[in-house]
Amino acid sequence: MAQVKIDNVIKRYGAVQVMHGVDVDINDGEFVVLVGPSGCGKSTLLRMLAGLEEISDGTISIGDRVVNDVPPKERDIAMVFQSYALYPHKTVYDNIGFPLKMAKRPQDEIDKKVTGAADILDLTKYLKRYPKELSGGQRQRVAMGRAIVRDPQVFLFDEPLSNLDAKLRVTMRVEIKELHQRLGTTIVYVTHDQIEAMTMADKIVVMRDGRVEQIGAPLDLYDNPANIFVAGFIGSPSMNFVHGQIVNDGGVRQFRSDNGLMLPLPHTNAADGTKVTYGIRPEHITISDHGVPLRVIVVEPTGSETQVFAKHGTDFIDAMVKDRFKAAPNSEVRFAIDPANVHLFDRATEQRL
Amino acid sequence: MKKNNPIIAIVFWSLVSFLTLFPIYWLFVISVKPAVQLFSTPDVMLSDPYWGNYAKVWGDRLLRSYMVNSLVISTGNALLCTILGFFACYALSRFKMAGKESLFFWTITNRMAPPAVFLLPLFLLMTQVYAVGDFRLLDTRIGMILVYCTFNLPFAIWTLRPTLDGIPKELDEAAYVDGASSWKVITEIVFPLCRPGLAVTLILTWVFAWNEYLLAATLTNFNARTLTTGLSEYVTTTGTEWGIMATISVFTLIPALIVFGLVQKHIVAGLTFGAVKG
Repeated sequence: MAQVKIDNVIKRYGAVQVMHGVDVDINDGEFVVLVGPSGCGKSTLLRMLAGLEEISDGTISIGDRVVNDVPPKERDIAMVFQSYALYPHKTVYDNIGFPLKMAKRPQDEIDKKVTGAADILDLTKYLKRYPKELSGGQRQRVAMGRAIVRDPQVFLFDEPLSNLDAKLRVTMRVEIKELHQRLGTTIVYVTHDQIEAMTMADKIVVMRDGRVEQIGAPLDLYDNPANIFVAGFIGSPSMNFVHGQIVNDGGVRQFRSDNGLMLPLPHTNAADGTKVTYGIRPEHITISDHGVPLRVIVVEPTGSETQVFAKHGTDFIDAMVKDRFKAAPNSEVRFAIDPANVHLFDRATEQRL
Repeated sequence: MKKNNPIIAIVFWSLVSFLTLFPIYWLFVISVKPAVQLFSTPDVMLSDPYWGNYAKVWGDRLLRSYMVNSLVISTGNALLCTILGFFACYALSRFKMAGKESLFFWTITNRMAPPAVFLLPLFLLMTQVYAVGDFRLLDTRIGMILVYCTFNLPFAIWTLRPTLDGIPKELDEAAYVDGASSWKVITEIVFPLCRPGLAVTLILTWVFAWNEYLLAATLTNFNARTLTTGLSEYVTTTGTEWGIMATISVFTLIPALIVFGLVQKHIVAGLTFGAVKG
C-alpha cells in the first residue's frame, strides 16, 4: 500500500495542452475513482501514473518516491486495461504468472501465487485455457489476477467494466469492491460511468477538459456539488436545471424562471434580482396537489419508480417518483419541491452559491 | 439463401489442381527418361523410370556446390530480411517519428523498378565500393545475400507492417507494467504473435532468392553460382540436355516444397483473437 500524490501535473501534446495543473492526493488503501466525460483526461492521468505517458510538468509520487522518470516496471503498480490486454498466446496460468516470471521469481512461488489468485477469482478450472476460450467476465478476472499476483503498492483500473454487459458489470463491480476490501491496496479507478464511481469509490475526482472540477466522497459530491457540471454529472437521472432569478414577491423570496415558473427558494444570501440557475434532482421532487403546475410530456414507468417528464414553456423538469403514476400527455401535474434539496448556482460562473 | 452446387466446385477445383500440378508431373516424367526417349516417343505416362539423370546430377560436384550455394544464400537472405524487416516494422508500428509513412513508402519503391535497373550499380558497389583489401563482394555468398536484401527487405517490411500494426499496443503496455523490459516485450509478446506473418515473409523471401536468376547469373562467376544459373549451363551450342535440366528443376522444387511444408502450420489467421475485446 502507498499514498499517491499528483501535484500540479500538466500534459502537453506539442502546442496543445490537455492537462492543466491537476492536483490529487490519494491516501493509503483508498479507492479513488477518476470520473468524467470522454476526453476529460482521466485515462491520460492514469497512464501518466502508470508511466505509459510522459508528464510535461508537475510531479507524481508513489509512496515517498517521485516517479516522473521511473519506468512502469519499477513503479510497483499493476494495471487492468479496458481491453483486458491478455496475452493471447499464453494460457490463463501463464498470463497471471507473467509479472512474476518477469520478476524472475522461483517457480514454486509462481505456482503458489497464481493458484492463490485463481482461487480468489474463481479461475482455478480455467488455468490451462487460452484467453479466446474465456467469456468477457472471465477475461476481466484474469486481467485482475495478473494484477493481484504482483502485490503492488497501487492498482490502476482503466475503465475495466466498460466492455461487459450491464448484468456482468454489476457483478464485477461487487467483485472489485470486495477485492479492495480484502486486499486493502490503494486503487485508482477510471470510469465515465458515474454509477460505478458512486458505488465503488471512497473518494471521487470529477474531471472536465483536463481540470479537476471537484474531489470528495460520493455522497458529498451528490449533496454539495461545487458547480453545475458536477451537479449534472453526479446522480442519475441528471439534476434538473432551470435558469432564472431571485425575486421578492410581496416579502416572499422566490425563484422565477425566465419563463415565469415560480419555484420555492432555499435559504440564500444572494440578493434579490441575482441571476441564478436553479437545480433540483428528479428524485427530490414529489407529486402533490400543493405543488407547482406543469404540463406532462411523457411518463416512463420503470417498475420500482416512475419518471415523469413535464414542462412549463421551455423549462423542462423531470421527476422520479416512487409511486405508480399515470397521466395523459399535456395533462396537468403538480411537482412539489422541498427547498432544502434545492441547489443554486451563479449563472455566470456556474459555481454553487 | 441459394445453396452452391458442390459438383461445380469439385469440378472447378479439380481442373485448377490439374492445370497446376500437371506441368510439375510432366517435368518429373521428363527427368526420369533417357534423352533418346524424349525425342522419339513423347509420352506423358510414367513407365520404366530411368534414374540416370538423377545419378548424373547428384554425382556432379559442381551442381552440388550450386545447390549448397542456393540453400545458404536463400536461407541467409530470408532470415536476414525477416529479422531486419521485423525490427523495422516494430519501429514503424510503435514509435512516433517524423515522416514515418514517407519512409515506409520510400522503402517499398525499390520493388517498383525492374531488377535489371539495379545490375550496374550493384556490380559497381560489389567490385569498387565495398572492398576490404583484396576482398570483394562479387561472386560471394554474403554478397548475394546482401544483394537480395535490396528487393526482399522492402518486401518483408511491406508484408510484416500490417502484422505488427495488428497487434494491440495495449499488450506492449501491459507487459511493460508487468515488469518486462523492451527486449522481453519483443521476445515474449510481439514476436510470438507475429509468427504467422513471419512465416509467410520467411517463405516468400526464401522462394524469391531461391528462384532468382538474373542477378545470380550476372553477379556470380564460380564461387557463389546458384542452382538456377546451373540450369543455363545445359543449354549449349551443341544442344540442350532436357533430361538433366528437368532433373535440376525437380531438385529446385523439392526444397521449396519442404520449406513450405514446414512453415505451413504457422500460416494461420486469428492468433490474436481474445487478446483484447473486439
